[in-house]
Amino acid sequence: MTDITVFKARKIITMDPNRPEASHVAVRDGRILAVGGADCADAWGAVRHDDSLKDAVLMPGLVEGHAHMMAGAMWDFAYAGFHDRMDPKGKWWKGKPDLAAVVRDLSDYEKTLAPGQPLLGWGLDPIFFAGERLSRKHLDQISTDRPVAIMFSNFHLMCVNSKALEMAGYDRATNAEGVVKDAKGDPTGELQEMAAMFPVMRRVGMDFRGLSQTDGAIRSYGEVCMRAGVTTVTDLYSQMEDADLATLVAVTDDADFPARLVPVLGVAGTDPAQASARALALKAQSRDKLRLGAVKLMTDGSIQGWTARVKWPGYVGGQANGIWNMSPEEIHRMVAQMQAAGVQMHIHVNGDEASSVAIDAISAATRTHPWPDARHVLQHCQLMGPDQFSRCVELGICTNIFSNHIWYFGDQHAALTVGEDRACRMNAARAALDAGVHVALHSDAPVTPLGPLFTAWCAVNRQTMSGRTLGAAQCITVPEALYAITLGAAFTLKMDHEIGSIETGKRADFAILGDDPLGVDPMALKDVPVLGTVLDGRVHLA
Amino acid sequence: MNQPRLPLTVIGGYLGAGKTTLLNRLLREDHGQRIMVMVNDFGAINIDADLIDRADGDTITLTNGCVCCTMGADLFMAMGDALDRHPRPDHLVIEASGIADPARIATAARAEPDMAYGGIAVVVDALNWPALADDPQIGAQIRGQVAVADLLLVSKAEDGLPGGLVARLAALSAAPQIDLAASTAEGASLAPLLLGGIAPLQGKQDGALHPAYTGWSHEGDAVMEREDLSRRLATAPPAIYRIKGLVRAPAGPGWEVQVVGRSVEIKPALAPVIKTRLVAIGPASTVSRADVSRWWHAA
Repeated sequence: MTDITVFKARKIITMDPNRPEASHVAVRDGRILAVGGADCADAWGAVRHDDSLKDAVLMPGLVEGHAHMMAGAMWDFAYAGFHDRMDPKGKWWKGKPDLAAVVRDLSDYEKTLAPGQPLLGWGLDPIFFAGERLSRKHLDQISTDRPVAIMFSNFHLMCVNSKALEMAGYDRATNAEGVVKDAKGDPTGELQEMAAMFPVMRRVGMDFRGLSQTDGAIRSYGEVCMRAGVTTVTDLYSQMEDADLATLVAVTDDADFPARLVPVLGVAGTDPAQASARALALKAQSRDKLRLGAVKLMTDGSIQGWTARVKWPGYVGGQANGIWNMSPEEIHRMVAQMQAAGVQMHIHVNGDEASSVAIDAISAATRTHPWPDARHVLQHCQLMGPDQFSRCVELGICTNIFSNHIWYFGDQHAALTVGEDRACRMNAARAALDAGVHVALHSDAPVTPLGPLFTAWCAVNRQTMSGRTLGAAQCITVPEALYAITLGAAFTLKMDHEIGSIETGKRADFAILGDDPLGVDPMALKDVPVLGTVLDGRVHLA
Repeated sequence: MNQPRLPLTVIGGYLGAGKTTLLNRLLREDHGQRIMVMVNDFGAINIDADLIDRADGDTITLTNGCVCCTMGADLFMAMGDALDRHPRPDHLVIEASGIADPARIATAARAEPDMAYGGIAVVVDALNWPALADDPQIGAQIRGQVAVADLLLVSKAEDGLPGGLVARLAALSAAPQIDLAASTAEGASLAPLLLGGIAPLQGKQDGALHPAYTGWSHEGDAVMEREDLSRRLATAPPAIYRIKGLVRAPAGPGWEVQVVGRSVEIKPALAPVIKTRLVAIGPASTVSRADVSRWWHAA
């Protein structure tokens, strides 16, 4: 019995300029032994031909450089969002176009629950509903006996029914910011921010910690990745405790687990010296499918929440400039320590004032501790222009751009946040590539669904939900976008020497597609079916 | 069996203002309470070795019954864990990180039926605060911290509070301004300021009150509706730092009261109130026991 398998495909997109296309790829010991025709591995001895993927198109396993593990276990809750969305098991959930649909679908779901079990939902985004706001009155139509709690897609708001209000002791006398009341002084059911949501979440068992780090949550995340063609995925603000490491190791070591997981440790608010020491200690625990050692810093908030720090002239509605989650001084201090200790950083920057501060901090750190191949990564980069991209090139900083925003929030950005002119140059992938910076593209799942082909489609077409093109000058080509979701993202994770392309010596990580993303109309890129993945030569079918 | 409500005090203030110094001092004091202090990390917490009973991972247990722990990545989960402890700590003190809005944490104590609002104490660095408050990038958040404070603890004012600072802070907040350097020099304890001096709900007595503070306690048969109580508390002498206690009601179990600075919190008592009991504390220099008594007994 040979240990060489030769996969035949309708087409193999390699991302290797030396051999952009092939029909066969040979795998041994989980690695790519050879790429070419049917005979590509004959020099290595007897081979076994596997034609099970002969009608599929293979490309390098997709790399999601910015997502969160809860994208898997959120599906333990009922989906209440506006868009159709697929769960980790591959089931499509219908989007809810209006409040009547939310009530109708959740009422059906309610019938499947055991008596007394709380009904917990997620994903609702009232920005898409004109008119009436969701209130306890709607949710009381679903049930008055069991608590009903629906988390909104931004995770800053929820709406609950009367039973849940009663459990949390919320009534007319409640005097807490965030417990929204109607004109008569009664709680409406809407709860704003964690402090007001916490008493309900505690009582209905809506446990965010359980949405990551548990065995089930990690496996669900792996399933979500496999169905999106993703073979390497980040958890880009890992809240892992030291006690969670054993679970992460056990699950990712399992040959059935279909992804390489890159937990990036969240360090906002921690002591820099301790955080860098912890990151380095974790790095030493890395394994084939678990890559530890990088950290994530916060800076500002979000643009659609008007909490991002933006440069002059600020928000078009006259809203106050946003908030810092780490102050510029803390950012400088943390960056200096991580740079000195040799810890790679991913830095959240939505607004252009935030990205400017992050670049300044890295620039300062490089003067005291040069580290040309640090590959620190700015994450989101939504308002960065050519000036900042050029500085990134000079400093060796990578950029991971939030292209999904163009479709999901582009219309809102033009109308409500930064205005038409700046919205047209948001998530400026063209400017970034032209400046010569290393570019990846991301979904920030579960904020938007995990799906690099959709993300690539956004960067290529820049179409918004209303159907307009938002800033055609920033469109990139399909090959550029495919590079960004494979080798581009792999570069930001310092894994481009082992993943991101199909060439001899690299890991046998592939996305299995039902059509050719280079052959279809660019407007159909998002519709290319994902049939599964190959990880370390092992086939995982959706 | 219901456990007593867990009072929460949040300590805010920018980097270097002296939050950790304050917490170190609080943990060492002889206040007789089992305080749980939650910090982002142990980096600057410096507890005398002879006070440490044991240390394991993210928790340090002190010989005086206090606990110091790191909150981990999720503050609210840590808060839930504190509430689920048996027995609950007597008081929870959370250190907000430098730029954070302490109200985002403290609001949980107003919302959560199992907690009591113990107030927001913001440490203001007399030397650096004016420049921070004018900083184009973080000034708004620095001023916002002061605006939500119930107590302002001014650090590093070696020769009394500078008049300009006092005026700027007063323009943002009606909260009492306390000179930490002076209180240290006088040897006054922090527990009365941060925790409320006496713990009537647990029937425990703190150490003797320092002469720098006026302490007032009252036991009586007053019966009040929530609205009446609320009005009465609103007219309390402004110099009072804290009032807490239990008040009888004409119907229902009665009221649990927590007043910190300008903040008034009234929640239904967890057990029927037989006697109305109140304690108050304020600076001896500006409020006397007679002042407090006159206020409460005014018809």
